[in-house]
Amino acid sequence: MSTARDRILAAARANKPAETPLPTVPDFWGDNSLERFSTVLASIGGEVAQLASLSDLETTVHKLWPEAKLIASSLFTPTLRIDQHTPTDVLADVDLAVLPVELGVAENGAVWLPEANMLHRALPTVTQHLALVLDERCLVATMHQAYARLPDGPGGYGMFVAGPSKTADIEQSLVIGAHGARSLVVLVY
Amino acid sequence: MSYLTHASRAEAFTLDHERTSWHDETLWFVRQKRDKAVYAVPEFQELRNLASAIKDHTLSRLDEYLAQFEAAAQANGVRVHWAANAAEHNAIVLDIIRARGATRVVKSKSMLTEECHLNPYLIKEGIEVIDTDLGERIIQMRDEPPSHIVLPAIHLKKEDVGATFFKHLGTAEGLTDPQQLTEAARQHLRAKFLAGEVALTGVNFAIAETGSVVVCTNEGNADLGASLAPVHVASMGIEKLVPRLSDLGVFTRLLARSATGQPVTTYTSHYTKPVEGREMHIIIVDNGRTQQLGRPDFRASLKCIRCGACMNTCPVYRRSGGHSYDFTVPGPIGSILSPNIDLKKHSTLPFASTLCGSCTDVCPVKIDIHVQLYKWRQIVSEANHLPTAKKLGLKFMGRLLASPTAFKVSGMLGRKGLRLLPYGLTHNKTVNAWAIARELPEPPKQSFREWYAQQAQPAT
Repeated sequence: MSTARDRILAAARANKPAETPLPTVPDFWGDNSLERFSTVLASIGGEVAQLASLSDLETTVHKLWPEAKLIASSLFTPTLRIDQHTPTDVLADVDLAVLPVELGVAENGAVWLPEANMLHRALPTVTQHLALVLDERCLVATMHQAYARLPDGPGGYGMFVAGPSKTADIEQSLVIGAHGARSLVVLVY
Repeated sequence: MSYLTHASRAEAFTLDHERTSWHDETLWFVRQKRDKAVYAVPEFQELRNLASAIKDHTLSRLDEYLAQFEAAAQANGVRVHWAANAAEHNAIVLDIIRARGATRVVKSKSMLTEECHLNPYLIKEGIEVIDTDLGERIIQMRDEPPSHIVLPAIHLKKEDVGATFFKHLGTAEGLTDPQQLTEAARQHLRAKFLAGEVALTGVNFAIAETGSVVVCTNEGNADLGASLAPVHVASMGIEKLVPRLSDLGVFTRLLARSATGQPVTTYTSHYTKPVEGREMHIIIVDNGRTQQLGRPDFRASLKCIRCGACMNTCPVYRRSGGHSYDFTVPGPIGSILSPNIDLKKHSTLPFASTLCGSCTDVCPVKIDIHVQLYKWRQIVSEANHLPTAKKLGLKFMGRLLASPTAFKVSGMLGRKGLRLLPYGLTHNKTVNAWAIARELPEPPKQSFREWYAQQAQPAT
């Protein structure tokens, strides 16, 4: 008896239509300004905050999140050390994660957060609040340019994050803070 | 065996006039948000063409891309499984869960697992399955199927959700504030995420060249589940493939704008390799898809990226509700997918359309939905699945419209009859379905042809 794999592949081979060409996707240029990125991000519930320089990060974080007790970060000495072996119950208590991102997309307010920058895969969604640190020079206009510039392809795991976790599943009323981070600030330097 | 028709199921939904109007207006509002987002992208129509061509190409080499995807995923340390049908899929999922001795499963949205009826199967086997998308969790508590593929609980009002959470989550009686209800669900589901042993997700896109699967959510539930549980199982239909990572540039620009009018979903997550010491499985499912691939008139339905735009725009869907379709995927796209699965059972769905073509106009991958609806009607008719009244009616109308004399005479009889016959007869709801919720037009004194004959001949 043939396997499901063989049967599916054979059926796909037998039933597929005549080959059609794979199109080349043009590079649609567009606006990659910080202004555009900030406007779009604000429209989806996120926020941009300016950093004078990366060395200001820690003081800015404490100023913007005075209430945050357990802060995880790879960019300054954190109040809670997280790595990929951190147990779930510790992760569950994180108030704020401050993580670097590789690029930002002006058309939709998304930033690329690869696994290597996450400390733990669950950290960006399990943390109550999320701050992502972006070099202004790494802004691109559209998703086409973003995918072309992913430093390490998709990596083992990586996500575009556009704003805080949200839902409109109850009568289409927008609620920020569904399961993931309740707020998202992109700190731009 | 006889099945309830779409119309008779819709009747139950339309009994509540206020709710029907609310449903109609709410989905139309989503359609308007879609338009606003789409018009803001100058190259949107070009993106639709590209998406359509990429999907056409992928289907034309589907076997090769499936093999390429499998090899790439395996090289990434992912275990790839194949399931010819729903039963095989469900058995594979159960095997993976049992192999870990697990009982607690957290699941994010997957229309494929709905199609396979995975939840009831696992629950019967003693597995706790928690749907973690808020809308899906609400309807899971109520033991209802989703009524929309993107907005699963769109048939419910906040009062319904409040009552459901009062019963299942112990929230205050009469609580209807969406913010507070969502917070209650967040707390409840957080505990489930933290305790999850196996995470199930669907797949929005699978990339042949990298072996990755991409999952799009707004809530972050897929990521919380898959990143906390030691085992991640992603179920995908064979049609989810795209050849290249760069193709996602096209599809991520189309999906959320078409679905809800957002510029992109909050999380667009790319799962390629499992963390060391953890497991990632991908189940590739056929379940009727290769058969649809072999139907030249209908194979384009496999290009669907499940955005739901065709539902939001459909005047029939908006006024009849998702449950009236009695199929995993409702609305226009469901009405062209379902006859492939069971022609007799779903024989009324291709007729649940005005053939206005709005679905085709908004489809981000340019599926000719209304043309396929029309073509399925022919097949339903040839297979003799039309109700007798409809069959006779169509035959009669066919003859009448083919004969100028019969057309002329019947027009005259109609105009006279409407004037002379009692209202109770012309508007009898059993005989005349049109009159159930509508008045017939005032009969004109003469026909167009009569009027035209009376006009002075144009000067030559």
